[in-house]
Amino acid sequence: MKIIKQYKKLVLAVGIIALASCAHEDQPTESYLDFTPKVKTDLDVWIDQNYIDPYNISVQYEWNQNVVEANRFLYPPAIEKVKPALEIIKKIWIDSYSTIGGKDFVKIIAPRDFVLVGGVNVNPDDISNTLGLAEGGKRISLFQVDYVNKSNRASVTEFVHTIQHEYVHILNQTKPFDVQAWAKITPNDYSSDPFSISDTEARKLGFISAYARSNYTEDFAETAAIILLLSKTEYDALLASITVPAAVTAIKKKEAIVVQYYRDAFNIDFYALRDEAQKNTTDVLNN
Amino acid sequence: MKTKNIFKYLMLLFLALQLTSCVSTEAEQKFDETPTERLNKQKKELDDLLLSPSDGWKVVYYTDDSQLGGFTHLIKFLPNGKVDMASDFDADTDIHNSQYEIQLGSTVSVVFTTKNKIHLLSDSNNSPLAAGKGFLGDFQFLYYGQENNDLVFRTNRTVKEVRFVKATPQDWADLKKNKVSIANMTGDINSPLFRILETTDGGTVKKYEFNFNAVTRFGSAAPLSDENSETLKVAVAYTPTGITVRPAVTVGTQKLTDFVYNETDKSFIATGTGGATAAIKFTNAPPRPTDDYKLFLEGGPQLTIGYIAANLATAASNSPYAISILDKVNATLAANQKIARVQIAFNDPLNGNYIAYQFNGGKATIYHFFTTTEDAVNKTIILTDDGWLGGTVASRAFLKILDDEITNPKGLYLKKESFTIFYSNVIYTYASAATPFRLTNYRF
Repeated sequence: MKIIKQYKKLVLAVGIIALASCAHEDQPTESYLDFTPKVKTDLDVWIDQNYIDPYNISVQYEWNQNVVEANRFLYPPAIEKVKPALEIIKKIWIDSYSTIGGKDFVKIIAPRDFVLVGGVNVNPDDISNTLGLAEGGKRISLFQVDYVNKSNRASVTEFVHTIQHEYVHILNQTKPFDVQAWAKITPNDYSSDPFSISDTEARKLGFISAYARSNYTEDFAETAAIILLLSKTEYDALLASITVPAAVTAIKKKEAIVVQYYRDAFNIDFYALRDEAQKNTTDVLNN
Repeated sequence: MKTKNIFKYLMLLFLALQLTSCVSTEAEQKFDETPTERLNKQKKELDDLLLSPSDGWKVVYYTDDSQLGGFTHLIKFLPNGKVDMASDFDADTDIHNSQYEIQLGSTVSVVFTTKNKIHLLSDSNNSPLAAGKGFLGDFQFLYYGQENNDLVFRTNRTVKEVRFVKATPQDWADLKKNKVSIANMTGDINSPLFRILETTDGGTVKKYEFNFNAVTRFGSAAPLSDENSETLKVAVAYTPTGITVRPAVTVGTQKLTDFVYNETDKSFIATGTGGATAAIKFTNAPPRPTDDYKLFLEGGPQLTIGYIAANLATAASNSPYAISILDKVNATLAANQKIARVQIAFNDPLNGNYIAYQFNGGKATIYHFFTTTEDAVNKTIILTDDGWLGGTVASRAFLKILDDEITNPKGLYLKKESFTIFYSNVIYTYASAATPFRLTNYRF
């Protein structure tokens, strides 16, 4: 008991000393860190008005070494290429989903950050290029911004392909699709080296593109994205060009799962979304 | 020891620690300012320096001088993070505007944040060396301070030193002249096939076989005689009057870097003192001529070599000049007719020596007979006209430009090559001693 008493006194003494030892500390002065906001260019203001304010999506077009791979030789986009690229994304991706899925659809489920890179991202195999990257559904990096030609359909479609594909992943992360049903369709032809065969060869196996062979989730994203990129006529022509009937059946089964997923998970008519994206693509090309 | 005592000592120790911890709160200050203050100061210093010269900065950027040359950039920093830039990377030497920023990396750095000319060195889609590595360029430069009014930086990714030197109005006006120097150094289809580097300190002459890659702006000079054994590596940057090389070419005790173009003989000459010079010269004579031609002379074995268009038209050893001659000849023929072979028979017991011009599309073969002589000094074989077979003089006129190359009076350098193309047949090339004509042949 005596020890406890002594102990109490000691702790009290230590406490007083500990507090007193801080008594003469200097109070913090104003921060030395520079919080002056950057002078906004017209482009910055446009991005604020069209991406940050309405959709809470930021756009990094100026070089920031922390958001790109250091061992790839990439460069930032030319300033005059940024706005056209963002207009394409806004019109074909955001506007289409907003019209069909509801005004705030993209605002609620969206990547929070776009990183734009001007140059081509050549892969170490020296054959393929990386067109886009999605990190955890939060950041999407888009490459080859300097190459986008707003009046060329193939160029616009290739650029939009990346965002459509990555956005399907983000939707999947919000609500999963029926993987079990999907896995039964073409279970044996997935590959860790999907580019070992061409798109045409992959279609004969029941995949919409070579990259779709990577795994179930990539297959789902590719199937949805490519249908969204094509008009109904173009998609029918693509199916008609496949010479293996079983492969056509497989792709149609996958298409059915995609359509059902959009309806059940988000109450979106997938074909209406496709038609809206087509209309908006034509608008982009004509303006 | 009793628990009671352990407690006592522990508490005492703790109290002692508390007391001594308050003894001195003054850490020794190595700097007068806090790290943040110093970084802010350095940031401001760099930005002020970048903005200060009225004509901006000149940066000859060697991304890696062990395998690439230098690329001249003129950079004028402007207020509000804007920057004007021009370079001699490609034919476009105009000024372009983009943005820059002073960013904090591992230290204070200047970053060209939107695309301009300097980014062309970091384009994974244009890689003359390793795939995807571009020209190994960087566009974030870490600030290391000033030296003789130059700003010294190191590249962010590759840690190579880069110097910003104050530019003059003349630098901006003259940048487009670098394009002329590039054209002179690169040459064209009419330029001789070979180049040598020749140095003299006023007495001793040293000769090197000089190979230059116009894309990488990098050359190597292999010694042509035994006394100079070292192969020189030369990273080239262009100037309005010629080239500058890194490292310097050592001539005697002098180090020469600046080569001036000489219009008369199309050479690049660096001049030192006391008659010391280094010169890069074009020549049609191979730096290392062979004796391979001797086998083909009168009295030798029967030999046939032939250019077969189907297999050899794309051989890298055909000179652009020779390809242009073949193209011109083919252009005079009917649409379905082309030169199929240019076959040269030597010492045929029945027919002697002849060139057989063979065609696709049913056109009859034309033969040109010749006799051979040698130029032992220059190591060439000379093919002299000995009559034709097939067609009339007028109907053979289209072949003249090609035939004149092969039978030129200065002769041909014949060389047995070490590579094969498509088939295992030995490859021979012959090059005119008078023009940059070189054609690739199989030996049958």
